Amino acid sequence: MSKNNEHDGMDLRGTLASVMVVGVIIVVMWVVVYMMYMGR
Amino acid sequence: MIALQDRKLALWYIGVAYIAFLIGTLMGLLQVFIRNDKLQLPAWLDYYQILTAHGVLLALIYTTFFIFAFFVTGMSKSLGTFGPKVRLVSWIGFWVTLIGTVLATAMIVAGEASVLYTFYAPLKASGWYYVGLALFVVGTWISSFALIGHYRVWRKNNKGELSPLFAFMTITTIVLWLIACLGVVATVLFQYIPWAFGWTDTINVELSRSLFWYFGHPLVYFWLLPAYIAWYVIVPKILGVKVFSDSLARLAFVLFILFSIPVGFHHQLTEPGISNFWKFLQVVLTFMVIIPSLMTAFTMFANFEISGRKKGATGLFGWFKKLPWKDVRFTSIFIAMAFFIPGGAGGIINASFQLNEVVHNTLWIVGHFHITVGTPVAMTFMGLTFWLIPYLTGRKFTKSMQILAFVQIITWSIGMLLMSTAQHILGLLGAPRRTAFSNYNNHPSALEWFDGILTSHVTMAVGGSILFLSAMILIYIVVMSMFLSPKALKVEDQVEFPMAESDKSHTPKWLENWWIWIGIAFALIIIAYAIPLSSMIMHAPPGSEGFKTW
Repeated sequence: MSKNNEHDGMDLRGTLASVMVVGVIIVVMWVVVYMMYMGR
Repeated sequence: MIALQDRKLALWYIGVAYIAFLIGTLMGLLQVFIRNDKLQLPAWLDYYQILTAHGVLLALIYTTFFIFAFFVTGMSKSLGTFGPKVRLVSWIGFWVTLIGTVLATAMIVAGEASVLYTFYAPLKASGWYYVGLALFVVGTWISSFALIGHYRVWRKNNKGELSPLFAFMTITTIVLWLIACLGVVATVLFQYIPWAFGWTDTINVELSRSLFWYFGHPLVYFWLLPAYIAWYVIVPKILGVKVFSDSLARLAFVLFILFSIPVGFHHQLTEPGISNFWKFLQVVLTFMVIIPSLMTAFTMFANFEISGRKKGATGLFGWFKKLPWKDVRFTSIFIAMAFFIPGGAGGIINASFQLNEVVHNTLWIVGHFHITVGTPVAMTFMGLTFWLIPYLTGRKFTKSMQILAFVQIITWSIGMLLMSTAQHILGLLGAPRRTAFSNYNNHPSALEWFDGILTSHVTMAVGGSILFLSAMILIYIVVMSMFLSPKALKVEDQVEFPMAESDKSHTPKWLENWWIWIGIAFALIIIAYAIPLSSMIMHAPPGSEGFKTW
């Protein structure tokens, strides 16, 4: 199997940032409901 | 173009899917008005009857028939025309599934099966309803074995080669479905049918629910994986790029087999008959599914960015503007993906032990359904419908149909945004699910549910009405594409099946070694289920008689 892969040199900064945004949405929604749980 | 006989089979599947869609969405419209106390049903029609019909016809029948239409077409395209045996078995599967569907639907219409789509015991339907469900599952198994047979013929003729990505993903979905159905088949055959026909007096409720959810959670992935096939294989072609990574796509799919089945207890976190340890273990396994989900999110964004940069995009998010927004095949699926971000996040909340206490029996869960299966899955299927039917019938996807398709997906998005947002917030306020209209003796908390601008039953009804309008536009597009749109006589008018190229040269062969994946899947299932299920059988509480509450 070749070690050179077709993804070398691709500019995927936007992808990284977008996946991070998805992660933040998950965490924020989770924390909001967790706070409601603690508050009740 | 695939063979005429294969196209005919796929079109029959799509036809049944959209008849179920038409009736199922009408039942949805009735519900939002009943919950708002704006509609009284006649005495012969019960709220729980239409709720059952809505769930069964949309979540089980529409999805399953559409999925098989997509699989039949894609397998015929990627592996070649079906042989006579495969075709015969496929038709037998289709008819058995259809007979099961008609029988189960007839029982719901007759008022003999208002047990909702989870058919929880001790609610007891007519025995024929469960026979209908069993036939439905057996029919899908026959169709599944036909597709597996087709795949095996291809592998025999192409020894040592990895199968095309579409075929691999189809077989993954089918493997997941076959393993998942073992639970529902066991409970329906050995518990519900003998009980409903009066051959046994009582039923072990906890066991029946656990076997249902052993099936019920991977059922979600049976809906979702075909949508993911479209995301991984169809979308890159529309964007003008290759599949981002063949090995990543295959690994994500096999991880879904492993981590979508031994996790059903996260639907039963509030049930007392299962000890905390087993709930905890299955919650941990549930969270493992976040890995292939985020791998999928990464791949989608990478496809968008690579495609955008090829078209000259610069900056961090410049690629966003370069996406083919005017192509409804893409825009529909993009919206579907966008809805899945809060949908997936909501799923993590539902599966979290304590947070589940906040949302479990509330409208939040209904909202969650509608931004998971109701939009990411359903709108992906709509996006596929726009080209799949014209591809199969050889008709044009005319300009006016394309404009209508945009109107359809936009109205669906607006309707769903209103309805599901209201459902999520009402759920957090405590509004219950699975219930007909009640003002709870004018309790202040209950009255709040009818007050808000975005958070009320009125908003839900407005959203539901827009959704129904959208559904009717879709039915019009389906009828036109099936029977009335002009034939595509010129090559440039013919609609293609967009299937992206996937570079398999770096993909390890073990990713297609089914013994490994099915073996690990069963090992995890045994670890997660063997002890709690045997405990439910050996230390069974007194069984319950059946109840008919309607």
